[in-house]
Amino acid sequence: MSSRLVVDDLTVAFDSGGYVIKPLDGLSFSAEDGELVVLLGPSGCGKTTLLSCLAGLLTPTEGRIQFGPTVVNELRGPVLSEYRRQTVGVVFQAFNLIASLTARGNVVVPMRLAGIPRARARDRATELLGLVGLGERGHHRPAQLSGGQQQRVAIARALVHDPPLILADEPTAHLDHIQVEGILRLMRDLASPGRIIVVSTHDDRVSQLADRVIELAPHFSDADRQPEEVHLADGEILFRQGERGELIFHVESGLLEVYRELADGGEEVLAQVKPGNYVGELGPILNLPRSASVRAMGEAFVIGYTVRAFRKEHPHHLADQIAT
Amino acid sequence: MLAVTFADLWFRARQFLIAIVGVGLVLALALALSGLTDGFHSEVAGSINAVGASSWVMSPSAHGRFTAFAAFPESAEAAVAREPGVHRASAVLFAPEQVVLTSGSSKPLTVNLMGVRPGGLGDPQVVAGHGFSGPDQAVVDSRLKVPVGSTLEVGGHGYQVVGVVDGRTMDGGIPIVFMPLAAVQQAVTGGRPLITAVAVDGTPANAPPGLVVLAPSTVVSATVAALGSAVASINNTRSLMWIVAAAIVASMLYVAALERKRDFAVLKALGSSSRALFMSLVLEAVVVTLLAALLAEVLSIFTAPLFAQPVDITPAARLVLPLVAVVVGVVASVGALRRVTGADPATAFG
Repeated sequence: MSSRLVVDDLTVAFDSGGYVIKPLDGLSFSAEDGELVVLLGPSGCGKTTLLSCLAGLLTPTEGRIQFGPTVVNELRGPVLSEYRRQTVGVVFQAFNLIASLTARGNVVVPMRLAGIPRARARDRATELLGLVGLGERGHHRPAQLSGGQQQRVAIARALVHDPPLILADEPTAHLDHIQVEGILRLMRDLASPGRIIVVSTHDDRVSQLADRVIELAPHFSDADRQPEEVHLADGEILFRQGERGELIFHVESGLLEVYRELADGGEEVLAQVKPGNYVGELGPILNLPRSASVRAMGEAFVIGYTVRAFRKEHPHHLADQIAT
Repeated sequence: MLAVTFADLWFRARQFLIAIVGVGLVLALALALSGLTDGFHSEVAGSINAVGASSWVMSPSAHGRFTAFAAFPESAEAAVAREPGVHRASAVLFAPEQVVLTSGSSKPLTVNLMGVRPGGLGDPQVVAGHGFSGPDQAVVDSRLKVPVGSTLEVGGHGYQVVGVVDGRTMDGGIPIVFMPLAAVQQAVTGGRPLITAVAVDGTPANAPPGLVVLAPSTVVSATVAALGSAVASINNTRSLMWIVAAAIVASMLYVAALERKRDFAVLKALGSSSRALFMSLVLEAVVVTLLAALLAEVLSIFTAPLFAQPVDITPAARLVLPLVAVVVGVVASVGALRRVTGADPATAFG
C-alpha cells in the first residue's frame, strides 16, 4: 500500500507556567511514499512535538495530519490505538528499551500487545533481529548491548508490524560515528516503496541522505545585511512571542512595550524599552523562538540588526548582555 | 504483559526479595496472632470438653462462664444425680488465678485450681505419672513445668504432684492444677462445701432450684466471650499487621513504578493500555505477597512456640492467609495506580 504524508498548517500550543508556548506554529509539508524525510533543527524547535503528533501520541491544537486516507488528528479511542500499533513504528531517542527484557523480548512485546501468538511473535522477532544484524544477540539484555546495538533493537521493534510510517527521534544522538553510519545505512535501506521514514535530527550531516529535508527552524544567513529601519505606529507589533527572527532591534525614538501572552488570553507586561536601548537579542543569538512580544507605545522608530551587525554597531550592548 | 511482568520480577529480584522477607515476617506474626485468638477458643474448648460432660449445671450468675467463681452448695451434685436422664454427676470447683509455690522455689506461680471427684467426671487423664490415689495429690498441666514428684504448696498446704496432663489451660495459657475436690475446697473456701459446677453425663430433666442446665457448647462460647477484649486487641493488632504488610508492598511497588515511569510511557506508546499495565503491577504485588504468605507459613512453625499463650494455627487460618495476601497485594497496588495512568506515552520521546 503506498501512502502520502501531508502535514497542513500544524500548530501545537500549550500552557507552560501560565505562558503560551508554540513549539509548532503553522507547519506544512508533505512526503511521498518511499521517502526518507529528515526533520532538521536545533533542540526546542518542535521536532519531537511533530513526531508525537505523527505517532498519534499528541493532538495538535490546529491543523491537519493525513497519512494515506487517514486523518490522524481526528482519530480517537480504539481506532487511534490501532493506528499507533499497526501504522506507526517508533524509534525513540535514547532507545527506550525495557531493561528487564532481552533484545528478543523487547521486539516481541508490541506483537504480544497486538495479540499475535507467542510462537509467531518469537519467530518474527528473530527474523527482525537478523535483519538489523543482531541475530546472535537476541538473548542479551539492553545493558549488555552497545548503544548502536540497542538502537538496532529499537529499530527492529519499530518494524514488527511492518508499518508504513516509521518515526525515528534523534536515532544517532547517543552513538559514536561508526554506529551512526550503520544506523543511517539501515534507515536509508528501510525507506522503500510502501514505507515513509521520518527522522528527526539536529545534525545536518544526516540531511545528505534524505529525500526531503524539513527545516523546523529558519536558517539565517551569517552574511551581513543592511540594517532595517522600522517605523511603528501606536500599538503596532514589532514581533510576536513564538516567532523566529534574526534581528536585534535598537530603539532610536519612541517607546516599546515588552509583554508576554498568557495561556488564559491575557497579557503580562515585562518591560518598557526606551531610546538608546535594544530588544529581541536572545532569539537570534541562540536561534530560539522569541520569548515575548513587543509593540509600540505611540509612534516609534527602531533599527534592526543581524547579530553580527549589532556587535559591530553596538559592541558595548552585547558585552553587557554576556556579562549579565 | 505476563512476560513483561515476570521479566520485571526477575530483573528486580533483590528488591522484591527484601519485600518478600519483610512481608513474610509481618504475615508470620499476623498468622501467629490468628493462632493466638484461635488458641483462646481451643484451650477453653479442650479443657471443658475433656471433662466429658454432656451437660453442665451452674449458677445463673456465672452466665455460662466456667471460669466465673459463682459458687453454690455441693449438695446440688446429689440433687442433679437424682434427676431423670442423668447417668452420672460430678461436682467441680474451679478457682481461677490462684497463686501456688513449688518445692524449692520462692517464685509464685499463677494457676487455675480445679477440684474434681477422683474417678468421677473431670478426673484428668494423665500423660505422665498417674491419677489421684490419695487426698493430698495434684495433677498439673505440662505448661506449669513442674515434674512428677514435686511438691506444690497451695494455701499453705503441700500437695504432691503425681501426674501431668497436656493442653489443660484457661485464660490465655494459665495452667490448670487438678486436685481432689475437698483439697480445693480447703484451699479456696476454707473447707466450706461449695462448688462452681456439676458435670453431668446425660441431661437432667430439671435443674435444682436456683441453678441452670447448660450445653457444653454454651459453656465454651460463654467462657471464650470472657476473653473478648483480649481477642479484640489481638485482632486489631493483626489488622495493623496486614496494613503494615500492605504498606511494605505498596512502597516497594511505588518505587518500582517510579523507576519504570519511562517503561510505562514506552509500553503505552507501543499499544498497551493503562489497565493492562495496572494489572501487571497488581500481578507483581500478588506474586510478592503470595510468596511472602508461603514464607509466613513456614516461619509460623518457629514463631508460634515463642508465645507464652497457646497458639493454635488452624488449617482454616493457613488457607485464609493466601487470600488475605492477595487482598493485601491488590490494595498495595492502588498506590502505584496514578503512576501508571499518569504515564504519558508522548514522554517516551523525550
